[in-house]
Amino acid sequence: MGGTSSKLPKDLLSEYQELTFLTKQEILMAHKIFSELQDRENGPYSSRVSMEKIHTLPELKSNPFRKRICHVFSTSDMKDGSLSFEDFLDLLSAFSDSATLEIKSHYAFRIFDFDDDGTLDARDLEKLVNSLTGETDDTRLTGEEMRQLISNILEESDIDKDGTVNLSEFQHVISRSPDFVSSFKIVL
Amino acid sequence: MSARARFQAIRSLHMNRVNSVKLSKTILAADCRQQVSQVKSEMQFLNTDLSLSSFTFLKVLHDISGLISPLFQSFRRFRASLASARQHLIIWQGTLKEIGGRFGTSVLSYFLFLKWLLKFNLFSLIVNFCFITIPQIVHAPNISSITGFRGLELLTGVGYFNQTVLFYGGYNGEVIVSKPAYNMQLAYFFTVAAYLVLCGVSLIYSMSRSFQKNFVLETGPVSGGAWRLLCSWDFSVVNAKAIQYNKNNLAIQLKVHTCSCLLHLSLHLLAWLLSLGLALGSGAGIYFLGTDPELAFSFNHDPSDLGAEASTLLLPVVVSLINLIVPLLYSLISKIESYSNPRTKIYISIVRNVILKMSILGILCFYWLNFVPNNISVGCWESFVGQSVYRLLIIDFIFCLLGIFFGEFLRNVIGTMCIQSLGVPEFDIARNVLDLIYAQTLAWIGIYFSPLLPVMQVLKLFIIFYMKKISLSMNCQPPKHTGRAAQIQTVFIALLFFPSFVGALSMVAFTVWSLKPSGQCGPFQGLDTPFHIIFNWTDSLPENHWVGWIFENILRSELFYYLISLIVLVITYFLWQITQGRKQLIKTLREGIVNVSAEIVRTSL
Repeated sequence: MGGTSSKLPKDLLSEYQELTFLTKQEILMAHKIFSELQDRENGPYSSRVSMEKIHTLPELKSNPFRKRICHVFSTSDMKDGSLSFEDFLDLLSAFSDSATLEIKSHYAFRIFDFDDDGTLDARDLEKLVNSLTGETDDTRLTGEEMRQLISNILEESDIDKDGTVNLSEFQHVISRSPDFVSSFKIVL
Repeated sequence: MSARARFQAIRSLHMNRVNSVKLSKTILAADCRQQVSQVKSEMQFLNTDLSLSSFTFLKVLHDISGLISPLFQSFRRFRASLASARQHLIIWQGTLKEIGGRFGTSVLSYFLFLKWLLKFNLFSLIVNFCFITIPQIVHAPNISSITGFRGLELLTGVGYFNQTVLFYGGYNGEVIVSKPAYNMQLAYFFTVAAYLVLCGVSLIYSMSRSFQKNFVLETGPVSGGAWRLLCSWDFSVVNAKAIQYNKNNLAIQLKVHTCSCLLHLSLHLLAWLLSLGLALGSGAGIYFLGTDPELAFSFNHDPSDLGAEASTLLLPVVVSLINLIVPLLYSLISKIESYSNPRTKIYISIVRNVILKMSILGILCFYWLNFVPNNISVGCWESFVGQSVYRLLIIDFIFCLLGIFFGEFLRNVIGTMCIQSLGVPEFDIARNVLDLIYAQTLAWIGIYFSPLLPVMQVLKLFIIFYMKKISLSMNCQPPKHTGRAAQIQTVFIALLFFPSFVGALSMVAFTVWSLKPSGQCGPFQGLDTPFHIIFNWTDSLPENHWVGWIFENILRSELFYYLISLIVLVITYFLWQITQGRKQLIKTLREGIVNVSAEIVRTSL
């Protein structure tokens, strides 16, 4: 039979509108897309969509950070990166046009923190560089270049000289880059 | 508290906004109920005799409290719906969002720039139409068209349009006799002056805001690898190929570049010499073409000679061809150079194109201001200049449309079908924005000579917006070297102010200040310079009128300007010292942070 696309009740819609940075159309669109993702699941009605299904969305398909994004926004107990509808709305709200710089930088920090320890140390930075420069041989940085780059970055952004970039230092760097708000955006 | 626990705490407090919906609702209701019961107890404590009225008062209060809670909610919902309705009213909002999502922020900046220019022209159109054109149409219809309407007028602007309100010649400087007497001369002068002053103020404001946001805050060690890495990744790009391009570019930028040897320096010098030579050559060519006496004023003698009239189109066509071909030559020349930084390449190409366009405009203005007013065979020289500007704008528009067709559509066809290696054409932001700036400069120059010129500019911008958008979707791909869109945006606004607006303003100012207006037409006929109407007006005011006093003793005295300059210099010096002091403070604070964290590490061990 056809997909059981449930309509979003009106009071829930207005609540979501008040609590997130999304407009009504964006919430409805998100609901439609999320319902389609749910319908494709073979099993019984489950309120969470697995990470692999989220990765089939065109906006996230080629994004180098798709795994980290799902992990950061997921509230699942099993830590498998699956998203409920409200997690999905949280994701879209953080990446929307009207989200503030603080929220965006907060989530960007968590996305870049590959080992989830609350700071960006040299290993996190190395993984970040590798995911941003591509996997082919001629674009990958050599070991020497990587070390030089990471020490440059730490010298520039590590204000308290503890060898890691914490949230405040990250936000300090971000606040001086006016392009960040407009590039940290995903629009359905 | 470990970092993980800290994150959880923040999350549960205010980040995870969706899951706290139930909490907010109950808090609101409880708050209301608490307030009502407080008021009730206070009323009972007062123990008034009018117990019945207090009872009804409390009942009313209770009823109101039952209404307040949903009232707040509906007020919030009303505010949200107002915001979304406003989004629909703002012109092109949905389209711009779509463009930004598909092509990234730097392409979006072109369209935002176009929208901003449209606002300037719409404002000018409304102001000119209301204050100058309508009084002129209503009170003194001055149409003495010698020839009927032929199709060629749309391109050349002469003939039927010659005596209409489109150009300066269609206005006369009578004082319209009505209840408050409306002085057309003063109206014309002040409308144009007020519009230009407002434009200047708006441009300076935007420029300084943009400069402060994008340049000043960038001082210090942020210009380097940290910024590129952490902030430059454009999440809004979804096309897999574009993402691959971005990755490759980032890799190239992160790798260290060396070699600034002698060969490169000499290549740079050669490229600069060639570019400047091309600019000078174009300027000289236009000068000789313009001053060629056979082409220039022939149409004035015989209004029904279509061939001579069409030959006036030769100059604009040549100008547009130069504007089309020479930038392509510049991009070829820049291929022989090698740059360590793709941003430097963009900036240098912008500088060269600006030099070219401004030298063309400079030559044209020089010709218009020096030769045309003294030439007797031109009847109404301001209308002539207005018509030249009109022709330039129209031909530029036609060439823009042709450029979209040939440059993007055909190139796309060739790139995908015939020569596969060429690929899909890129959307060249710098060139397109400079074209917009060039057209806007012409529009500003033409405002004094042709008050209704903004009509054409508004139509033109509208059509270009939609054509570019369609062409973008069908033909182009986003530019490869994205990044630092905000800085380039500042550069464009600065270019719009400095050579473009300032040049147009100085040309109009020179015309008003020192050129003799033509004697047979226009609102300023018979005066020595158009500026003399101010003198006439202040002379005609009664003695000790405050406007006259301000004009004589403040605006015309040199002491005032000396004082102002001195005060501005002193203030600038103070502000500079404050900046230096703040830099020192930042340095001290940074050292303080290092010391404190070292202290913490030491004491925790």
